[in-house]
Amino acid sequence: MLEVEQVCLRPGEDDNAEAVFAHTFAPGEISVVLGANQSGKTDLCRLIAGLNTRARGNVCLDGQSLTGASTRQQAVGMVYQAFVNYPNLTVAENIASPLRARRLSAAQIDERVTDLATRLGIVTLLDRFPHELSGGQQQRLAIARAMAKQARVLLLDEPLVNLDFKLREALEIELRELLHAAGTVVIYTSSDPRDAFSLGDQVLLLDAGHKIQAGAPLEVYTQPASFRAMELLAEPGVNYLQQHGVLCAVRPEHVRVQQIENDAQPLQFNMRVTAYETNGDESFIHGRVEEHDWVVRSSGMMPVAAGDALTLYASAGDVVRF
Amino acid sequence: MSSFKPHNNRAWLGVLPVLLIVAFSAVIPLMTVVNYSVQDILDFNTRFFVGLEWYRETLNDPRFTEAFLRQLGFSATVLAVEIPLGLAVAKGISKNSRYTPLILILLAIPLLIPWNVVGTIWQIFARPDIGLLGVGVNVLGISYNYTAEPLHAWLTLIAMDVWHWTSLVALLAFAGLTAIPNAFYQAAELDGASKWQQFRYVELPRLRGVLIIAVLLRLMDSFMIYTEPFVLTGGGPGNTTTFLSQYLATMAVGQFDLGPAAAFSVIYFLFILLFCWLFYASINREQNMLSSEGRR
Amino acid sequence: MASISLEDLCFRYEGAAQDTLTGLNLTVADGEAHALLGASGAGKTTLLNLLSGLLTPTGGRILFDGEDVSALPGRARSVAQVFQFPVLYESLSVADNLAFPLRVKKASRQLIAERIDVVCEELDINHLRHAKPRTLSLFEKQLVAVGKALVRPEVTLVLLDEPLTAVEPRIKWRLRQSLKRVQADLGVTMIYVTHDQTEALTFADRVSVLTTEGILQTDTPEVIYQSPSHEFVGHFVGSPGMNFVPSEALGVGGAERVGFRAEWATLDPQATLRGRVLRERVQGTRLGQRYGLLTIDTAHGPLTMRGALPHVANGPDSSVRSLVGSEMGLRVHRYVAFSQQRKVAEGELV
Repeated sequence: MLEVEQVCLRPGEDDNAEAVFAHTFAPGEISVVLGANQSGKTDLCRLIAGLNTRARGNVCLDGQSLTGASTRQQAVGMVYQAFVNYPNLTVAENIASPLRARRLSAAQIDERVTDLATRLGIVTLLDRFPHELSGGQQQRLAIARAMAKQARVLLLDEPLVNLDFKLREALEIELRELLHAAGTVVIYTSSDPRDAFSLGDQVLLLDAGHKIQAGAPLEVYTQPASFRAMELLAEPGVNYLQQHGVLCAVRPEHVRVQQIENDAQPLQFNMRVTAYETNGDESFIHGRVEEHDWVVRSSGMMPVAAGDALTLYASAGDVVRF
Repeated sequence: MSSFKPHNNRAWLGVLPVLLIVAFSAVIPLMTVVNYSVQDILDFNTRFFVGLEWYRETLNDPRFTEAFLRQLGFSATVLAVEIPLGLAVAKGISKNSRYTPLILILLAIPLLIPWNVVGTIWQIFARPDIGLLGVGVNVLGISYNYTAEPLHAWLTLIAMDVWHWTSLVALLAFAGLTAIPNAFYQAAELDGASKWQQFRYVELPRLRGVLIIAVLLRLMDSFMIYTEPFVLTGGGPGNTTTFLSQYLATMAVGQFDLGPAAAFSVIYFLFILLFCWLFYASINREQNMLSSEGRR
Repeated sequence: MASISLEDLCFRYEGAAQDTLTGLNLTVADGEAHALLGASGAGKTTLLNLLSGLLTPTGGRILFDGEDVSALPGRARSVAQVFQFPVLYESLSVADNLAFPLRVKKASRQLIAERIDVVCEELDINHLRHAKPRTLSLFEKQLVAVGKALVRPEVTLVLLDEPLTAVEPRIKWRLRQSLKRVQADLGVTMIYVTHDQTEALTFADRVSVLTTEGILQTDTPEVIYQSPSHEFVGHFVGSPGMNFVPSEALGVGGAERVGFRAEWATLDPQATLRGRVLRERVQGTRLGQRYGLLTIDTAHGPLTMRGALPHVANGPDSSVRSLVGSEMGLRVHRYVAFSQQRKVAEGELV
């Protein structure tokens, strides 16, 4: 169990009580730290890893405080956004590098390297050098190296952002299973709400250095603590109206073009469509509702075009009031 | 739980050894100089406190003012030649030819030659009786004698400094140029920008930081120049190539005017300190600009 | 603006043993938003450089409005490009950046002012005119870069090289919307190169799927998605890609394999296409029910469906339990049939 306490991500700039928070990361779970660029995700990682950062706070692993950078660096493994490997070492030597530091026998190292390389699908590449690998393979190698360390905390700072779409899709599934099997504390940062669902057992929402909500993704999704929390876990954004001084917000996927069956009191809105986009899996209908820009997200494709007038329906249960 | 802060209270212990070394090697000698500069020293046992008298005298000394102006003239000329020339050389080096590493090594050679050797090389090279340059120029029909003609002495000194140091500017600028992503050139090409416009609007703004470093390094270095003119011209003919450091050496070692020499040193030191500060401030500013860009 | 044609376009890098691009044929209509979708290594960047004039084809021709431009350098082609990261003149203000391509061509003051007004209005960046690029966010910078590409009235083709890469995922759609809007308003021919199917399908009027084998299919996003001409297209487009099973598994004759999309199947405990549930990926709720992807380990490999995921209330303390580990079947409603990887039929199953 990794506990952080009295964390302040922007000391000096933003010191008030709301800016200071505590959080517990459980082992065997993937915690996705979700926030926009510059929300403090990387600062939090660097604080936990004991790297140079402006963030302050206490870090405690399994009831023991991690004092000093050296003990922390032993306990924590990190994978970065850029593919960081030793360029002059082969794939096998790269994976073995953290093991050598621990003075294991050659046979033990071999066994562990082969095991990790097999699990990450790079076992046929053991004799190659990093520059001979594709981007996806290089990042698999970086992950294998971080796991070889058998760190008690594994930090992954947006490790998949530089990868091709299809590669990313495949690696996400593998990574989730691999990280669960490792049984360590796993912290995964992202700015993409999809990652919170596809990878996270828990999600921690950061906004401008503040912790704004934490919990299981579906729970945070259904019961957002604030409008900003709702927005952070929405794709592509949140639709809202101001009614009698109350902010009524509804997610794009909860607004429908067809009437909802068996809904006693459906809410209705009129939309003037400004644009229609589809990626096949889903469609996004952009338009104006009263004075606001709204988006409807629905599965599959729809016969809609800019200029159309649509009646939208939403179930009262899906509307969140702030 | 213990606290982990980036500003560890005991961290200063780590820099203590360095502080001690700096104290012994820099601060104590400097204090000695400051001490000398406010006293009239007749011999080691007879000395009087004279306040700022030596400073007043130094600043009013016409030979100091002349040396100072000469120094400024030299530094300005050298900068005016070396910076554009270095940029031009850097632009001329192909970025990914297989000869590029060889060219870079060749460029670095003048930087590796000891300074007095540089002086000696040029002293011989430019001699009107046996030097290749000196004889060559005279053969072309231009009367040239750097030991007699102040203008010739100056030109020779500047040529020597340019030969010695332009590589530094070129290497710095080349490093800056290679860091510019190809997309910038491609975009300028598609915009229809001429080579000059590419240089002016793509390369120059991106070389800003590197050029500031080059200018200040060369300014500080040329301001402290001693060995090469000492070997080449010995400050002559007359005093026409006597720069600050050489005048100082004459005062301190030649005439043993310890008080005025010490006051001179302190003034000289303050100038160098000013340049250092400019250097530090502008690098900091560049970095702040870069990081504020990164943050957005 | 102009129509763009590629005729048997080939390119081989000097000293390379193989062509990077072989025999590409493609026509992009005047004013069309076209996307080139391909994985890394498919030759996207090479094709882009051929279009912008940075590379010269080693075979075939590139035609702009019927005129052969293969040998012309980039500056003579009136092509503009938007790059992966914003490329601006850093020492110039936004307005001066926008004016740059016009000033270089010695355009009149009046034309410059007019074009800047049009572009700023269209992209809604009037308030940024006097800012220096370094004070802008990546999003704003990229908007200005788009403006710079559109400012010359004679531009025939705007190339977009994964222009949303540097922009935060959450606001990508806004930039994409701006791009689509200016594309439609100004009637600019645009070619958008990307590895991201969402980008390609949401942006383009037509999409070409590019692989090392060449262009596999060119069609509207709807057709590319619903009716892939090739198994690879079915796999590459859509997230997740198409499921494939032997045609006997669904009782479809006259084909080797049958493909179906995740949302073309529903859960049915009685269905014959069945197995143990491998994983669930919840993506939110619909009508109060969990919604997302469910993968079943069948005799034909793992198959994934998308839709409402039933609650499994099998504990007194918890109302939601995962289906993972339980036995489940899939009923497929639509399919596309393939022989030798090529589409031979498509249809519905009742």
